[in-house]
Amino acid sequence: MTTATETAEPPVPGRKMLSRTARERRSGLTLSLPAIVILLVFFIVPLYFVVRFSLGIDRFARTEAAAELTGELASFSLELWRDFLGHGVELEILGMATIGLPLAAVGVAAVALVLGAVGGGRLGRHGGFVSMGCFALLLAPFFTIPWGNHLLRVAQLSSEGDFLRLFFKSVTMATTSSVLAVAIAFPIAYTLAYGVRGSKYTWLLIVIAPFLTSYLLRIFAWKVILGDQGVVNTALFGIGLRDPEHPLSFLIYSQFTVILVLLYAWVPFIVLPMFIALQAIDRKLLEAATDLGASRLQGLRKVTLPLAAPGIVAAFLFVFIPSIGEYITPSLVGGTQGYMFGQAIAQQFVGGTLNWQTGSVLSIFLLAVVLFLTLATSKFLRQGGGTVA
Amino acid sequence: MGIEGIFDRRYTRKGALGVGGAIGIGALLAACGGGGDGGSSSTAAAAIDAASEPGGPIKIYEWAGYEAKEMWGNYLTGPYAADSPLKFTFLENDQQALAKVAAGTHFDIIHPCVAYTKDWLAAGLIQPWDTSLLPDFEGIPAGVREGGMIDGKTYHVPFDVGFSTLTYRADKIQLAEGEESWNILLDPAYKGKISIFSDDVAIIKIGHLINTGKPVDPNILTTDEIQAAKETMIRAKPQIRNFWNSQTDTVNDFVAGNVWATYTWPDGYYKIKTHASMKDVDVRYMWPKEGRLAWVCGFVLSSATKQPGRAHAAVAAANTPAVAAWLTDAFQYGGAQQQGVLDLIQNKDLITAFSLDDPTAFESPRAWFEKPLANRKEFVDAATEVKAA
Repeated sequence: MTTATETAEPPVPGRKMLSRTARERRSGLTLSLPAIVILLVFFIVPLYFVVRFSLGIDRFARTEAAAELTGELASFSLELWRDFLGHGVELEILGMATIGLPLAAVGVAAVALVLGAVGGGRLGRHGGFVSMGCFALLLAPFFTIPWGNHLLRVAQLSSEGDFLRLFFKSVTMATTSSVLAVAIAFPIAYTLAYGVRGSKYTWLLIVIAPFLTSYLLRIFAWKVILGDQGVVNTALFGIGLRDPEHPLSFLIYSQFTVILVLLYAWVPFIVLPMFIALQAIDRKLLEAATDLGASRLQGLRKVTLPLAAPGIVAAFLFVFIPSIGEYITPSLVGGTQGYMFGQAIAQQFVGGTLNWQTGSVLSIFLLAVVLFLTLATSKFLRQGGGTVA
Repeated sequence: MGIEGIFDRRYTRKGALGVGGAIGIGALLAACGGGGDGGSSSTAAAAIDAASEPGGPIKIYEWAGYEAKEMWGNYLTGPYAADSPLKFTFLENDQQALAKVAAGTHFDIIHPCVAYTKDWLAAGLIQPWDTSLLPDFEGIPAGVREGGMIDGKTYHVPFDVGFSTLTYRADKIQLAEGEESWNILLDPAYKGKISIFSDDVAIIKIGHLINTGKPVDPNILTTDEIQAAKETMIRAKPQIRNFWNSQTDTVNDFVAGNVWATYTWPDGYYKIKTHASMKDVDVRYMWPKEGRLAWVCGFVLSSATKQPGRAHAAVAAANTPAVAAWLTDAFQYGGAQQQGVLDLIQNKDLITAFSLDDPTAFESPRAWFEKPLANRKEFVDAATEVKAA
């Protein structure tokens, strides 16, 4: 008598492996299904319609009479895209020389500089310089020292196109916020990671404590602090630095205010990824650098910063992406000086002419810029960023 | 709900346009309205039978604060309240309301301002009222009614009317008798001290009134005049600290000393005037030599409603002298309903403060009521440039 086990064919490893792979694939697909559904429902499908609107295929107005009021197109056309992008760009350097450029040239240069900044570090010995150079050139037209109503700038991009000009202004405000946020958050994260012993997570909690209150509440608090008769100005009156008839008026309703509030909002948030990136660095590498004679500053520059680069880049994007399309903050504290691209988009959808087609063009352009930046940096982030110099 | 609560919520209102509160309003709007005899515009009178209509809530798209029981009391004690309770959703501005309903959200009754009536009709979203089912309809002056009539049919039943002009501090902005003018927006002495409503049409109208320097109807502008108004408002931007979206915000800015003059509706002025911090300040509601802007809002009936009879019953309940008097006491607005209203208003000071008993106050050239604009897109495009400049 033989048992079933004895008569059965011996297992085929390849088939078993295959079925396991298939099972794992099915399981992976099942687990991803909610994410796929969410992506489809909340991103792909709306994006499909927004693209149709931007090309004049669909329109907000349901009747011809309504379309006359909204000024929307009746059929497929690239006219709205031409209206938006068909303007030259002026690059002003140090407030003196102005160079006229086609928008396409600016776009190509920006893409090349982003790729250079992200991938330069892998070019070999001088990769770091290439990377930093590209980054500096990229930032130059979009970084400002937001002091008073007279912003200090190295270079500035402008355009005759209203929306394009507003876009450059928004990129400037977002870039400035992001760079300053990273510059402020990095020392905090560094101190938490290396300077605090024992209770670093308590400190981290304290840093992110502002998130426990409503964002709107915090913005309104800033209005109280920065107003003409607010806390700051009243203090200046008290110590005689300002006359009550002449308060520091740029403190509220200016680009400065928007950047300040964005900094306040985002700095605690981006301390977290940078702290994690710094925590993940193997201390032995720093010890080895010290043993080899590196000073603390050299250790920071040649070991810590390159290895923490993914966290820093991620932090920059965390601030930049929401800031470039900001709507609430400039609406509440931006005033006429701090008006941003996101407000112009909202204006097209729920204000004015209800021209959803133009609003869609602006939205897609903004989305394209953000997607490009995300894709360009994602590989960098996946690969773990820079390498020890 | 207390009056204070009503105020706070009501401040979200925008999309101004209008008409005033006294007997003289009718004469004014007769000149700017649609046409027809103002009588019953029944198109389906025989078909409307509230009693046989299906139950379910009457959905009303309404300004916050107008859900008050004082406004709908007659309906709430009527025969349909139990079967068809009133259900409110709050709108923020005319454009947004139009967008939302056109996108498919259903309401039985909507409360837009009269200048948008043609837009609602052009989008196929509304149907005419059967005015024979509104017992107090004749109490609305014919001139006021005509603003909401198209092709002899009443599509808009006027409900509330009011001014839009500058509230200003007379101690900071010293203007002699008869010198009050919109042109303070161009005075560098008030740099960064004036706030204006973000409404695109209002921005261009103000620019036009500044340009003319005299009372000329700002509703009928050529392309050249709109462009000139745009240029003027761009020149005024240094003085304009903020284009406000919420009247609450601008009231707070005013009492906090951030601005010395701001565009407000009557309730905004009243709120500032009666604020504790303004007790010793001479606050005035400007009567510019070029004329105030003014508005009238009211009810439109959805073309998709399945309960037209009950919707008529609800609007009939709100269109009474008692409710109109309450409107003045609670919000300082005038009621479109005029029949014996002045006697019913409890706070008689409001009658003189807002000239509700002065027939000329609501007539051109002292006030310019908003009308449907054939070229509103040009207004909006120009105002968009002003904001982006």
